[in-house]
Amino acid sequence: MILTGSEIKRAVYDGDIIIEPFSHAQVGPNSYDFRLGNRCKTYVGEQLDCAIENRTRAVPFGEQGLLLRPDKVYLFNTHEKMGSQRFVPIIRGRSSAGRLGIFINITADLIDIGSINQWTLQLHVVEPVTVYPGMLIGQVTFWVPQGEIVLYTGKYGSLLSPVASLSHRDFTNGTHRNACH
Amino acid sequence: MILTQRRICDEVQNGNIILDPFCVGQLNPNSYNYRLAPVIARRTGEGDTTNIQWEELTVGPEGFLLEPRRLYLGLTEEIIGSRRYTTTLLGRSSIGRLGLFLNVTADLGHVGSASRWTLELKVVQPLRIYPRMLIGQVAFWGNRGASIDYCGRYNGDLHWASSRDGSLGA
Repeated sequence: MILTGSEIKRAVYDGDIIIEPFSHAQVGPNSYDFRLGNRCKTYVGEQLDCAIENRTRAVPFGEQGLLLRPDKVYLFNTHEKMGSQRFVPIIRGRSSAGRLGIFINITADLIDIGSINQWTLQLHVVEPVTVYPGMLIGQVTFWVPQGEIVLYTGKYGSLLSPVASLSHRDFTNGTHRNACH
Repeated sequence: MILTQRRICDEVQNGNIILDPFCVGQLNPNSYNYRLAPVIARRTGEGDTTNIQWEELTVGPEGFLLEPRRLYLGLTEEIIGSRRYTTTLLGRSSIGRLGLFLNVTADLGHVGSASRWTLELKVVQPLRIYPRMLIGQVAFWGNRGASIDYCGRYNGDLHWASSRDGSLGA
């Protein structure tokens, strides 16, 4: 089950959903519109590798905006700190962003329950588009879980967003090869 | 409603969810991480939707470099499915942060089907991937209403499968 806008508001008041800062005007019928943060990172190299640490650099991102190119992955923080220990967040772009060819995530739309932070967005554009800090870019929905809840304690939890991929840790800590079989 | 890791684990043990092989360490709070099987298919030329040629490659320990502006088909190592719950397929954020799409818009599985899922791989920047790596996740959802078992054209697949929708070319 998906929460309605009025249930999202109620859960924010009750402390079951964290959205900071929170504005009534950003509540939709079944979602909350969130803003693009003011920090951007890109990978230094063109060719990336899942098994190694891919270096990133901070890209200046101010009021003049940033022109995104189709051939690069851009990591941004969300302006809001968001999350819940009771509901499962799922993010997507606003249709206004989608109509400009902006992906705000790359396949991974599910946020772990208990991950309360500024989230890392993975921006990718189909054609060149300029984006601006603070613009309304995406929406988050909240879903009721079934079963006993186990909260997120993973590797991205305490880091300052945006956080580059930590995929390489799977290859160095044995997760990649570890198998129960 | 989306199942929590505890409920996914219970339902695997009860036989209501198929994740084979299953490893508790691959559970997330609300999903299960799947691995990439060591085969990749890529298109070998132009073609209309009824006549696309594919080349299958075996991926060794050195990995495989995916190139932008190309479509690759991959496969989950696990057989995944459920008769009781609906499955959705997504990527892991660790892999999304590297610019790899695991599917092209179609993320909804069919209740009642179980198969190795065909992945539609697309990258933004060149990216090296490795066989058996944890590449994506699946989530399971409760249904409302009587379910009709899926008996469609991709059910039971244990191999990557290109599009079988001949009507796309019509």
